[in-house]
Amino acid sequence: MVPVSGLALDGVVVRRGGFALGPVGLSVAPGTATALLGPSGAGKTTLLRAVAGFLPLDAGEVRLDGRRVDELPPERRRFGFVPPNLGLFPHRRVRQNVAYPLAIAGRPDAAARTRQWIERFGLARLADRYPAELSTGERQRVAMARALAAEPAALLWDEPLAALDVEGREVLLGLLQELLDSVRLPLVLVTHDPSTAAALASAYVVLDAGRVRFAGSPRALADAPLDRFTARFLGYDNLYSRDDLAAAGAMPIGRALLAAAGPGGVAVPPSALRWRAGPGGSGAVAGVRSTPAGWVVALRDGPLLFRVRVDGPVPGVRVGETVALELDPAALRPLDGPAGAA
Amino acid sequence: MAAVQPSRPRRRWFRVGPKSPQPRRRWFRVGPKPPRPRRRKIRVAPIIAGALSASLVALFVLPLVALFGDAGLAGLVAAAGNRTFQTTVVYTLFASAIAVFLGVLTGVPLGYVLARYRFRGRALLESVVLVPVVIPHLVVGLSLLLLLEPNAPLGRYVARAGIPVLDATAGVVLVMLYVGASYVVLSSETAFRAVDPELIEAARSLGATPTEAFLSVTLPSAGRAIVTGALLMWARGVSEVGGFLVLAYAVYPSFPWPGPVTNTSSVFIFNYYGIDPSAAIGFAGILVLVSLAIFLGVRLLDRTGLAWSRGGWFP
Repeated sequence: MVPVSGLALDGVVVRRGGFALGPVGLSVAPGTATALLGPSGAGKTTLLRAVAGFLPLDAGEVRLDGRRVDELPPERRRFGFVPPNLGLFPHRRVRQNVAYPLAIAGRPDAAARTRQWIERFGLARLADRYPAELSTGERQRVAMARALAAEPAALLWDEPLAALDVEGREVLLGLLQELLDSVRLPLVLVTHDPSTAAALASAYVVLDAGRVRFAGSPRALADAPLDRFTARFLGYDNLYSRDDLAAAGAMPIGRALLAAAGPGGVAVPPSALRWRAGPGGSGAVAGVRSTPAGWVVALRDGPLLFRVRVDGPVPGVRVGETVALELDPAALRPLDGPAGAA
Repeated sequence: MAAVQPSRPRRRWFRVGPKSPQPRRRWFRVGPKPPRPRRRKIRVAPIIAGALSASLVALFVLPLVALFGDAGLAGLVAAAGNRTFQTTVVYTLFASAIAVFLGVLTGVPLGYVLARYRFRGRALLESVVLVPVVIPHLVVGLSLLLLLEPNAPLGRYVARAGIPVLDATAGVVLVMLYVGASYVVLSSETAFRAVDPELIEAARSLGATPTEAFLSVTLPSAGRAIVTGALLMWARGVSEVGGFLVLAYAVYPSFPWPGPVTNTSSVFIFNYYGIDPSAAIGFAGILVLVSLAIFLGVRLLDRTGLAWSRGGWFP
């Protein structure tokens, strides 16, 4: 039995030109978020726009609080849809943007409700500005306030925190989490950013070339079959395609990797690689780079390059230094090929 | 109760704190000789660009200077006082207002169709819109005459319906529409194309029907360009001569012009030029002044913000 409240997709298929998406099924309970993940062109935005009503479904159903909405026009589906560039009306002030859904609905209490939403999102000071006069973070807040002022039954957000700096992202993530708890709506968000997904979503759906590759909890994603996108998403730096490995097939390390590789190659999780500087090894330090998270050392062994993170204030190795590399074959993760290619 | 004021640095006549970092001015030099200030390099490109633009601006302005110089203040005053000429100006504004209204009414939808929809023959349609800009004005009048004279296939029906076209307001408005409506189509097409589809989707998701989204988002975003197009169309219609000479040399009272018998101002000036050139020059000067006043007036109104193009209009 389908849940009565929340958002449910059942066997949704969308075809556009040569691109086919689906079938996709998912269900999002009120107050929880599902993140749509996947490489560019996987169909994330297509799915969101189809659910919002801007692309026709070729098959399947969309239900919102138990009621079928996929045959309604977008304005009657009651989705709070925030497009990637936010869709703020440039010719309207912040106040007029937030008031828009209330004015369209002809609500007599539009002014009072607009004021409430503006205050709730800390926009009172900016109410008379035009969107062009706001910072990225402020614009995001206006878009959220406006979407919620429409009193939607579910939220669909495409890249809600894109183009924000680190601090703005933290502030808005906090706001979003608080919001999710207080308004108790189902939220579907498209994101490229692992930290946004991890902070908000209790379920992930990974799309690849229009197919659902994974659907489940964030914890399950780590144990699910990996593909290139998922491996990168999980923070695995060292991915090798079969072509990469073929060049290293003559070396013991290359043979070990090839033995563990799947159709899309192999991922080397940090736990699978041990290395130590000193004579006798076949590898060498190829480069040292500083990142916000610490030092990253690039190690070259034959044609293969491994990136490893190093803690501490200084990397402790010099470029050109000889290193010995050792793999734990049991910890290597095979990679699936691209969807449809297998 | 005295509210606690946030403290502000007080102005004093003596210094508190460290000396200001500015170096003292001396009448003798201390330290090494300062480098001689570099001679400003003369840039050539702006001068050339400036001269070229200035020559074009001169071409625009000098004939008007000559016109007003020749007419003189007395000539302009006399021309402005001529009742027959006044009637032609009123009539021209009257007819052009109707033409611009019809031009916007038909041109904006056509611009929207061209901007939003992909269909077979779209490129052809786009060229058709440009035809009136390309063909000579006399030809416009002749073609309309051939189409609408009372013995022509279409003209017969029009005549039977009791709508006079030749030497009537309908003819004047048709010529103005023909020569000017393209500007409304082109500028609104460009403006509609520039409206981000995302805005319309956002509006729809927030509860707006397609019509409401068009009225509240698309049209206001394009409003300014539509005003510009309408203004160009209006100017084009007022300055037309050739088409009127063929189709509506004189204008007899006919719906909706109550009379008296008159001409468009441009034809009136053209006529007068054969009779009394100096008087014609005075009329021309007044027509230029009226046109410029309207042009600037609309632009100013647009600059300060027409209420509906600033978002306060709908809903």
